[in-house]
Amino acid sequence: MREAVTVQVGGFANYVGSHFWNFQDELLGLADDPDADPVFKNAALDMDVLYRSGETHQYMMLDFTRVYPHTVLVWCRLVLECMLRVHGGIICRVPWFFEFIRSGNVTRSVSKPHGRNLFLQSLVEEGQNRSSQKSVEDKDLIDCLENGVNFWTDYSKVQYHPQSLYELHGSWTDFDKFDNYGSAQEVVSDWSQIEEMNERLRFFVEECDHIQGIQFIVDDSGGFSSVAAQFLENIADDYTNTPVLLYCVRDPMTLGSSRMNQRESIMRALHDAISFSKLSSFCNLMVPIGPPSLSRSYMSLYLYIQDEKPFHASAVCAAAIHSITVPFRLQRTGPSSDLAHSSGNLDIGELVHILSDQGRQNMVTALDVAMPAPSLTDRDAMGNIEMKLHSLTPEISDEDEDPYSVESLVVHGALDRGGQRTSISQVKDSVCSVYEARETKPKFSHLSASLCPLPVPLPFPSIFRGNIGRHGEILSDHAEESQAKGSLDIESIPMAARLRSSSAVLPFIERRSGSLQKHGVARGAIGSMVLRDWGFGREEVEDMGEHLAKLLRPFHPEMDLTSDSD
Amino acid sequence: MSLRVLNPNAEVLNKSAALHMNINAAKGLQDVLKTNLGPKGTIKMLVGGAGDIKLTKDGNTLLKEMQIQNPTAIMIARTAVAQDDTSGDGTTSTVLFIGELMKQSERCIDEGTHPRFLVDGFDVAKRATLEFLEKFKTSVVMGDEPDREILKMIARTTLRTKLYEGLADQLTDIVVNAVLCIRKPDEPIDLFMVEIMHMRHKFDVDTRLVEGLVLDHGSRHPDMKRRAENCYILTCNVSLEYEKSEINAGFFYSNAEQREKMVAAERRQVDERVKRIIELKNKVCAGNDKNFVVINQKGIDPPSLDLLARAGIIGLRRAKRRNMERLVLACGGEAVDSVDDLTEDCLGWAGLVYEHTLGEEKYTFIENVKNPRSCTILIKGPNDHTIAQIKDAVRDGLRSVKNTVEDEAVVLGAGAFEVAAKKHLIDNVKKTVKGRAQLGVEAFADALLVIPKTLAENSGLDTQDVIVSLQNEHDRGLVVGLNHHSGEPIDPQMEGIFDNYSVKRQIINSGPIIASQLLLVDEVIRAGRNMRKPT
Repeated sequence: MREAVTVQVGGFANYVGSHFWNFQDELLGLADDPDADPVFKNAALDMDVLYRSGETHQYMMLDFTRVYPHTVLVWCRLVLECMLRVHGGIICRVPWFFEFIRSGNVTRSVSKPHGRNLFLQSLVEEGQNRSSQKSVEDKDLIDCLENGVNFWTDYSKVQYHPQSLYELHGSWTDFDKFDNYGSAQEVVSDWSQIEEMNERLRFFVEECDHIQGIQFIVDDSGGFSSVAAQFLENIADDYTNTPVLLYCVRDPMTLGSSRMNQRESIMRALHDAISFSKLSSFCNLMVPIGPPSLSRSYMSLYLYIQDEKPFHASAVCAAAIHSITVPFRLQRTGPSSDLAHSSGNLDIGELVHILSDQGRQNMVTALDVAMPAPSLTDRDAMGNIEMKLHSLTPEISDEDEDPYSVESLVVHGALDRGGQRTSISQVKDSVCSVYEARETKPKFSHLSASLCPLPVPLPFPSIFRGNIGRHGEILSDHAEESQAKGSLDIESIPMAARLRSSSAVLPFIERRSGSLQKHGVARGAIGSMVLRDWGFGREEVEDMGEHLAKLLRPFHPEMDLTSDSD
Repeated sequence: MSLRVLNPNAEVLNKSAALHMNINAAKGLQDVLKTNLGPKGTIKMLVGGAGDIKLTKDGNTLLKEMQIQNPTAIMIARTAVAQDDTSGDGTTSTVLFIGELMKQSERCIDEGTHPRFLVDGFDVAKRATLEFLEKFKTSVVMGDEPDREILKMIARTTLRTKLYEGLADQLTDIVVNAVLCIRKPDEPIDLFMVEIMHMRHKFDVDTRLVEGLVLDHGSRHPDMKRRAENCYILTCNVSLEYEKSEINAGFFYSNAEQREKMVAAERRQVDERVKRIIELKNKVCAGNDKNFVVINQKGIDPPSLDLLARAGIIGLRRAKRRNMERLVLACGGEAVDSVDDLTEDCLGWAGLVYEHTLGEEKYTFIENVKNPRSCTILIKGPNDHTIAQIKDAVRDGLRSVKNTVEDEAVVLGAGAFEVAAKKHLIDNVKKTVKGRAQLGVEAFADALLVIPKTLAENSGLDTQDVIVSLQNEHDRGLVVGLNHHSGEPIDPQMEGIFDNYSVKRQIINSGPIIASQLLLVDEVIRAGRNMRKPT
């Protein structure tokens, strides 16, 4: 057993994480459920990789609560929004007390507690009396989630280990401005908090017999990226040989904020550049996720996503991350044996090795996902699996003709045209033929396949269009635009996801490198004051610039020659 | 206004409004913390967003937990927290003192005095008070064997202001012993060498000092002993985990046998290291009933654990980084980074190593060590808030003892110093100052009295009565403090009430500085926000 430890830092990362753990919880439940589709039992993924076994079956996960801004009260205590786990799986939120001092009068004010929503209430009831009949209809639960998800805890049905939640505390300034790299300075410089985070992680790592790697999900759109960078630096220090797979997730809305003045846009550009440079220097493989708009993308053919709801966007990101982690959990076999329900096991270290040490030796990869995956035996559609993969990584180029690219493709739960599950060999064959037919073949491509599709848990948002069937098959004769389908109509969906290390990510890196040069390093740059406020000296900024240039180097072999000479 | 032209969004508070905003903020903060001062102070209950409860009267904790948004209050709170960082105590007193300075100044300013005169007066008074403090302090000679009694008194004074009496007295001994344990002559005391562990178990009075270490994890192998006496301790930072070869190369094998060989060869590296440790064990433990414990900062995988268990060695993996340092100090020996050249000298020794299981959590106790230079305070309590409360108190207690050892001086407590200093300022210093700066000296002197006043108020006594009777005694040349039970003057020396010298000095030093700066503010300009309206 090779365990993977998951770390989530920041607001949107927790949104994604909640969905991710809901999938895992659903998988666990389905494997035990005699009424469920047998594929979940027979092709079960090795859940021990992600879970620790405790007396009460608690989960391995380290996580940070987002500190939430509370409306517009100017000098008031921030409101911490958090959840409390009580014995027996009760998840609830509690009212808080806050106090603010204004012009001498001490005003006590108790903010209105966010009540538990219907979904959490039903979880609590379930925890109290398991046998009793359901008091709330599933339909109502889904409606309530659809309209009222304010926090990532609102739809999480997983029990977390008490050690796994960690809340950042203590800021003298206002948190609604927690949107750039410098804003978390206070947290980062508070040595005891960083130490406490390391302690939490050590607690979980100590339990692992054989840690295969650390998955790190970070919301890099704000101050959390500097917290994460500090944390990653310590991880790199303490666990030298443990590979770190980093997903940088972003809420689509944070990218799309349109009205920005010049100063704000420079700050944003610098933040992107610096958090990218810092985060990438302490991990082994980096996957930026966060498309500017999912609703207008190719995926909107099958999915109905409202960009303004992080609940929706995070669900897609979580599904993609789930698919990427499938190979880590497949059964390990010898090279020649062929299993009926899975093939292509990888561990995090191998994945990192495949993607970042070969070809261009580039550690920034693009994530593409097909949700749902097209049916495979159909010759035409299958030719399309390539085309149907839609990128979740922002700012990358569309052309995909890099002869040095390296890929890892995961297909799980694929269906054929009639809606039957395809066997592993069928998947292999059809993917092979797709690649045969391509003009520019990637230098290396790894395929992992499993029969087990992505289960759709109850609190999953209703984002599927009417043309998706019960098992995620694509219906050709659907009635045009009925209601969006959710977890009541759809049990599971096939997924395909691909990590791609190719020149497609070049614009992504170039932009960051460029903006750091332009706003930060260049003499008399406007941003240099901003950087100084964030606590970076000139030399440090230059170092970061160099680091970014180094990341660009694999794409320009000719640059290599000049740099070798000195 | 010119500023309006520069930035139309900036909001400007001018002269008296600015000053009053500052004064009000200082008074507001003072009001909040006032009730917490002294052994009779009341407690505040903080409830966090997650429903976590914190009961505390520690000023530092309060200021850190409360999210203050008023800019002036933030400045004061930061000064107070800085006070805590440097000397470990006196946060509440700092806030009270600053608040009182501002309050006293307000009176003068309302009567038309320019703040500049007050500030000048503060400056004179501050210097005079510091000089007075030098004379007033009681020297304590530390030498090689510090006077345990005086350390206990000072720890008791600090702890009793944070916890109830019974527990405070128990902690007093723990704290003093802990500091004396880690103290090395002629070296600064590193309080990190006192590990603070907490267990949610039993009652707060079960808190104790462990001469040795408590680790928060146990061994991961069922066959390892749970209890061992007379142990050698090997502290190491060596990976005992199977790792893949980390090179960019391919291994080519043509049959299963070759593959097996390759795997075995990769595995052998780890086994080799484990064997080295086992060899050492066999060497030192042969023919006696001693045991062997390996504590590793890196991982130990199951096959290695198995080898160790079979050799009768207890192995713990992934120890805290800082514990490695503490282990060496507690048990002796040295932390080794490689298993080459292991000798008996590398080993530490502990009389007793045992594992304690609490629900799902395991703890490993390493006790009865020889000549410990590091120790652990094991805090027990029935619930989290009790533990947190004790933890904060222990931290402050440790630092007050440390301060005393380093200052080699203490100051009489219970308000005695403040009353004496006030008398000194009024009787001697005020006359030497010319002009209106006298008002500043007077304001400073009155502000000092805030400490005995608040102590009296918190004990339910009449403030006027107490101050008058204290001042009378001082006028008669007696140095007395306040007995908060009866309200009568007492001799703090007899009662054993002492404060830290460095804490007092820090308060006198930093309070007037920040107060002067706040008084001299004549305009507050803030961009983008409205300061006067709450929303």
